[in-house]
Formats: sequence, structure tokens, C-alpha cells
Amino acid sequence: MRRLGALLWLALVLLASGYLALRLHDGLGFRTDLLALLPREEQDPVLQRANDAVTKALGRRVLALVGHADRETARKAAATLGDALLATGQVERIGEGIDVDRLKRLGALYFPHRQSLLSDGDRALLTAGKGEEVATRALSQAFGFAGLVDAGLLRNDPFLLLPSFLTNLPFPLSRLTPDEGMLSVTENGTTWVLVSAVLAGEPFELDLQDRLVGAFDAAVRDMPGVTVKRLGAVFFAHAGSKTAITEASTLGTLSLVGTILLVGLAFRRPGPLLHNLLALGVGMTVGLSGSLLLFGELHVAALLFGSSLIGVAVDYSLHYSASLFDPLSGSPSDRLRHVLPGIALGLVTTLIGYAALMLAPFPGLRQIAAFSIIGLVGAFLTVVLWLPSLDRARRLTHGALMLRAAAGLWSFWEERRWRGVRLVLVLGCALAGAVGLARLSADDDVRRLQAVSAELRHEQDEIQRLIGATTAAQFLLVQAADDEAALRRQEDLAATLAGLKAKGSIAGYQMPAAFVPSARTQRENRALVATALDAPLLAAQRASLGLPPADPNDKGPNSKAPEGVLTLGDALASDSVPFLRELVLGPGLHVVALQGLSDPDAVRAAVAGTAGVRLVNPTADFSALLAKYRHRALLLTGLAGLLMLPVLMWRYGWRGGLWALLPPGAALVLAPAVVGLMGQDFTFFHAMALVLILSIGVDYAVFCAESGVEQQPVTMLAVWLATLTTLLSFGLLAFSAVPAVHSFGVTMLVGISIAFLFAPLAARGTRHNEATNNARLR
Amino acid sequence: MTRIVVFLLALLAAFPVLVAETRAAETLSEGQVLRGAFVQERFLKGFQAPLKSEGRFALAPGRGLIWRTETPFAVTTVMSPAGLVQEVKGNETMRLPAARLPFMSKLYTMLGGALTGDWKALEDMFAVERGGGADAWTLHLTPRRADDPTMPIRAIDVRGGRFVDEVEIVKPDGDRDRLTFRDQVLKAEPPTADEAALLASAGRP
Repeated sequence: MRRLGALLWLALVLLASGYLALRLHDGLGFRTDLLALLPREEQDPVLQRANDAVTKALGRRVLALVGHADRETARKAAATLGDALLATGQVERIGEGIDVDRLKRLGALYFPHRQSLLSDGDRALLTAGKGEEVATRALSQAFGFAGLVDAGLLRNDPFLLLPSFLTNLPFPLSRLTPDEGMLSVTENGTTWVLVSAVLAGEPFELDLQDRLVGAFDAAVRDMPGVTVKRLGAVFFAHAGSKTAITEASTLGTLSLVGTILLVGLAFRRPGPLLHNLLALGVGMTVGLSGSLLLFGELHVAALLFGSSLIGVAVDYSLHYSASLFDPLSGSPSDRLRHVLPGIALGLVTTLIGYAALMLAPFPGLRQIAAFSIIGLVGAFLTVVLWLPSLDRARRLTHGALMLRAAAGLWSFWEERRWRGVRLVLVLGCALAGAVGLARLSADDDVRRLQAVSAELRHEQDEIQRLIGATTAAQFLLVQAADDEAALRRQEDLAATLAGLKAKGSIAGYQMPAAFVPSARTQRENRALVATALDAPLLAAQRASLGLPPADPNDKGPNSKAPEGVLTLGDALASDSVPFLRELVLGPGLHVVALQGLSDPDAVRAAVAGTAGVRLVNPTADFSALLAKYRHRALLLTGLAGLLMLPVLMWRYGWRGGLWALLPPGAALVLAPAVVGLMGQDFTFFHAMALVLILSIGVDYAVFCAESGVEQQPVTMLAVWLATLTTLLSFGLLAFSAVPAVHSFGVTMLVGISIAFLFAPLAARGTRHNEATNNARLR
Repeated sequence: MTRIVVFLLALLAAFPVLVAETRAAETLSEGQVLRGAFVQERFLKGFQAPLKSEGRFALAPGRGLIWRTETPFAVTTVMSPAGLVQEVKGNETMRLPAARLPFMSKLYTMLGGALTGDWKALEDMFAVERGGGADAWTLHLTPRRADDPTMPIRAIDVRGGRFVDEVEIVKPDGDRDRLTFRDQVLKAEPPTADEAALLASAGRP
């Protein structure tokens, strides 16, 4: 029967290995954005779509300033850098909005509608009846020294309304000026030239990061004397993923080597080590291929946490191997029968813990949970189906000292002479728990969860200062029945926004209506031009310019199509208006981008009364979600504990079940308390660690509860080894530079230690131990 | 537009130097002011007559240029190292601080170079053909990169004697600007208070 099972399992493992090899051969892509670990917001798909689109557009933007004292050197270096980025093939385009071709298309788009398009200033002048000022300005441009007026334009637009509209379009990058096709700014004798690019893919794709940042660095290396400052999610992501990958390999190696050393030292022969490695290897292989099969791809964090699975997966094989020290142990099958209840119960309770993880709708956490569940079951099946057949080892006799030392912890909890110390310890823990929990505060700011390179942040600040305010991650979302209604809504909002700008709450804003006014406004403009400009002043203007009198039948090109207005659809189709595509998410769903946002609360308050307009703050939204799911994680931990209780009570009776749950329960209370005592804020990642502490802590408790008095030293040895390997894997994460991972690691380190320390208490309530326990306590 | 400013200013500044090359006479230097009258005619396609404006100018090396159009109506344009400003009847119609003109430094390289007889900056961009004699010389400037779509000039012709008398700028579409200068006087004196105030006004941010 077991033979058949072992063969079936072998076939399955081979299948999984084959699949994994196939995937590895195709090149595994790992996701690295932390936000991909977060759940999709479920309530408001419109908001989610807007969030995605804006965050994506912002995330794909790459800006660099190339600076040198010599203008030509700076320009050449900027051109070289731009070419280098384009050559990677990871960049869609270089230099949004300043190429000659695009400006020509922009002119072609607007020219037919020149009498419907007025700059804010001209509109105000005409409304105030100051048409002469507009006319005089046009004349001064035509006659004046600095005038470069195109004859064709002057003939068709004698008041030069279109150039006025064009120069007043609200393009961002306020301090930059076009200089022979490049945007630049001069400060303290240094000319800074802008290189801007839009990524062809997501900034979180590892391959893209490597190629783009590699090409960027290489190009910068070849420019001695040139200073380059960079800004873009891809640079931050690249630095972050480099840290994560280095850590994953360093911590993973440390954990593996530590585990091998530990097991080797404990058993002093290769058998148990090989068995453990086999269980571990099989667990990892089936876990990895299983989750790849389920999800198609894996997040690098899932890999990081998943590689820590080592510590849990070896618990079963360690428990099996430790029975070699049991003086009563017989054949491998005997030994398996002996430990099977313990590891089976351990598996069931652990799976309950991980299954609780599956309930959290965080895609990355589901990956971790699936990875762990499949891997653990794999390791368990390997122990149960394979190890007894592979095992040729005889009873081990060398471990007397080690066993005595291991059993020390049990004695500590059982023997009378330690009673005073026990009391002090318990009281101390209770005090620390109370103080720590009282001091514990939660912080869900998503920005604190990623390690951000200080140097990159400094460069980012420098760029923002040099080029003027950059676009904020927050934006206004305008929703209306259709585009026209949305455009009108923005025009109604313009006064509010101008007020915010005057107050300094924002430095600037772009809205689709600034590039394409609503049809209503276009018709008003045309009427205004006709009454305030054409009727009183056109004849005199044409005469001053030496143009023949206007044909009385020709009332301007727009008269041919009285209702002809420029539509948003036309503008989008021409693809000539920079950034417009990013501002229009769909029919009636528009974005107002904000620059230099310094006071989000003022903006939120100012638009609060406006229907269909709201300030969206993706960062705050994500933070709020993290808070929500931090609560949920705590709930899941409680739920997992409750689900474990019936299983434990079925096995140990209601009192025994409670005793068994006591050690992990103490860990669940004390671990957050220690976090509070350390002065750290409690985050979602601390909370997620609690789920695992419960699952693993229950394993230790179950091993202890299952142990007969004679096996106590052997059991304790297994628990010792299991704890140390767990600490080697999860505990090491406390040294991670990624705050999220560090939080997780610290909690695990503390929680697992406490669960281990209290583990022997689990045996107190078990029926078959009661007699001996009472005898000892007496 | 600003590019035209660059070249006109460079040429204006170069007047005495051109003279210096041919006649070894006075060169314009700091502490001097060149004043004179101008006629600007713009020949634009589709217009019955050229757009003609007349006025006076004052050029103070190192400080800037004042270009006062008087007819058909008053427009004052002031250019200084700090920026450019245009006024109509006391109302500002255009202001470009030098911080927004990265090529200002280049302009002043050209200007300064031309003033001291260094033609390199100008010749980098234009091929220069000289003609005529010492008292009546000509220059023909053509862009070195004629295929550049951002180059708004097809050719520049300059005619002069002691000072520059006429400049004609031909644009790619055939439109022409012609500047004629007369009554030019070079004085070794600082700008008047009025002129100094105007030059300073271009420097405001």
C-alpha cells in the first residue's frame, strides 16, 4: 500500500520537476512591485481604473536632467543618453511634446478652430470690452522688433488669437524652456537639459529594469564631467529589486547552510541530513511548480517568503529523524507510526493557519500561502511515503548530552525547584505584554514599506526643484455623463483651481478642458470674438496690417460649419496634444493632473462641494487598504486559532486542547507587545507574521503534547531543531533592509522564540500525561 | 521668434566690427552707446504693402538694446543680459526672463565675440561671403545647416559703410524683413537715465 503510494508520489514529483524545468527553461519572470501584493480594490471599479491608469502613466515616466557648464556638451550628452535609452527597446518615446513634427500637428489641429479657442487672458479682456488691447498686441507682434509672425497666420488670424492660446496652454515642467528642440534650464552657470522617456512596459519588470538602468548607467559612465540626475519609478524599483534579490539569495543561503550544519551536528551522519534535504527539496519543487501552475507567475516577495518555507518543511522530517535517538524505537515503520500522529496533527493545524492566509484577497499572500501549503504537503508526503523505505539507519546513541540539554526546557517547566523563576518569568511576560501592547501603535503608510534609496530620493528632489513642480500622484477625477459634460465641469472648476494656485496649494494643473474647451465655451468664444473683436475692430486691424478689407461674405472659416467645434475625439485622434491621452480615461471620465501639490487637504476641501469631482490619492487609498487588511489579518489569526481548537480538543479533550493552544497563544500576545516595546509601529506585515506564528507554534505544542514521558528528551530535541531552523529562515528576515520584510522577520523571531519557550506547557492538559505530570509536580 | 532676436542683435552688435575689419576704424566697446534711426519693412506674402515701422534704437554694449518703434504706433522692446521685455503704451505685452532663455548665454557669447572681432560663434552657424570695398562692403550669410527644419532663416544680406546701413533677412517661405539704418552716432558716454531705466526693466523677473 505504501509502496504504491510512494510510486505515485514519485510520479507526481517527477511531473512537477518536469514542469518546473520547462518553466525555468522558458525564463521565469518574477514580479517585483510591492503594490501587486495588495488586493484590487473591490468596491469602485471606476476609481480603480482611474487609479491604475494614472499610476501607470506616472510610473512609466522617466526623467533625467543632464547638466554641464557648457551648453553644447550638455545637449550632446542629453542626446546620447536619449539614444542609449531608445536603443534598449524598452522605451516607447523620448521627449514628450517637443518635437517639431508634433508641434506642427498641434497647429494643424487647432488652426481651423482658432476663433473658438481663446486663452484665459484674452477671454477676460474681451469679456471686459478691452478688444483694443488684443488688437494692439497683435500689431506689436507684427511690427515689433522681436516679431516673427508667419504671414499666413497673420492673414487668417489678424488678432493673433491662436498663438496666444497656444503659448498659454498649461504644459507642465514650468521652469523648462524649449531651446532648439530640447527643454532646458540654466542655473548658476550650469545648463540642464531634460531627457524624458516613456517606458514601453511596466517599471516593475525585472528584465526591463536591468536593461534600461544598465544602459542608463553605461551612458552616464561615458560622459565624464557631466552631471546626471534621474527621476522615475523604474530607478526606485530597480534599486528595490536589487536589494530584494541580493537578500533573497544571501538570507536563503545562510538559512540553508545553517540548517545543514545544525542537522549535521545533531545527527553526526549523512542519513538524516539527506532525508531532510530530500523532504525540503521535494517541498520546494512541488511548491514552486504548483504555484506557478496556479498563478502563472510569482512575485519576488512570494519567493522570498517561500524560500523561508525551509524552516517549516523540515519540522516533519526532523521529528521523524529525531526518533532515531529514542531508545524504544524499532524499525523505520515503527518510528513513523510513532511520530505520525504528531506530524499529521501538526500538518493539519499548520494548513489551517495557511488556509487562513488564502482568505486574504492579497494576490501575493495567496501565492505565499499556496506555495507553503503545496510545499508542506509535499514535504509531509515525502516523510511519510519515502523516508521509512530509504531509512537504513540504526538507533543513535551519541546524543545523551544533547538530549539532556534539550530536555532542560521541559524540566524547567516541570520541576519544582524552578517554580520561583517560572513565576517571575510568567509575571515578567505578563507585565511586558501589558506595557508593550499599551505602547503599540499602528501605522499603515504604504510608503514606509519599501526601502527607498536615499540617493535617488535626493536626486528626485533636485530635479523637482530644477524643473519646477512635477506631477503629483494625487489627482482630481472628474466624472460626468459624457465628455462635453465633463469638460463643462472642469471649466466650472477652473476658478476654484486658480484660487488654489494663488494660495500656493498647487503649483499648476492640467485638465482636458484647457486643451479642448467644451462645445459650450467654444460657441461662447466665437460669439465673443464676433461681437467684441471682429465687429468693432477687424476692418481697422486689416487696414493697419495692410491687408485687403475682409470679404463681407466670408465670416471666417468657421462659418462654413456653424456647429463645427473641436471635439476631444478629434484631439485624441490627432495624437498631437502632449499628455492629453493620459488625462482622458474614457467617455466622461477625465483626470485633472496637479503639479506641486503642497496641501492636499485644501484641495480636497475646495472640491468637496462639486458634484462628480473628487481628489484621488492612490497612496492614501493603498494605506487605507493596508489598514483594512491589517485588521483582517488579525481576524484571520483569531479565526485560525478557533478552527484549530476543535481539532486539538478532539485529540486532547477540552482542557488539553486549551493547554495545547496556550504556547502559541502566548506568542501571539507577546510578539506584538515586543514590537511595541521596540518602538516600532504595528503594520500589516507584523500581523501576517502572527498567522504563521500560530501555525508553527501549534506544531511545537502538538509535538510536545503527543510526547510520552519517555520520549520527552527526543521530542524536545526535535522541537529545538525545528525552532532553530525556523529562526534561521524566518528570523533572519529581521535583518532585511526592506521594511515590510524586516517587520515580518522581527515578529517571527520574537513569536517563534516564545512559542518554543512555552511549548512544554502544551503537554500539561493531555490525558495520557496527566498521571506522570501530577507525580512530578508533587 | 527669439532666434531672430539673436541674429539681429548679433548683427547690430557687429556693425562697428565689420567696419573695423574693412577700415580699421572705431570698434564698439563698453562705455559707448550707438544710437540711430531705423526703418523695418516686412514683406509678407498676401499683403498689399510691406508692414513698415520706423523708430530709433540705442545699443549699449554689455547692457543691452533698446528698440523703440514710433510709427505706426509706439512699441518698445528692450533686450538685456537679464531678459527681454516688450511694452505697448506702458503695458507689458511680452516678458522673457533670461532664466527662461537658456540660449541667452549663447547669444551673449556671439554678441561679445562679435564686439571683439571674434566671428567664430556666428560663423559656426553661417557661411559668410564678403564683398565690396572698404567704404561700401557687403556680407552674405547662409545657414550651414540649411536642412534644419527649426532654422527660420534662408539667408541674411548686410550692406554697410562706416556702420551697417541695411540688413535683409530672407525666411524659408520667401517672406523678407528689411532693416535700414540711418543717422547713426557713436558716443562714448553712459546711457541716459531714461535708457538705463528701460534696460533695467528687462531684468525684472
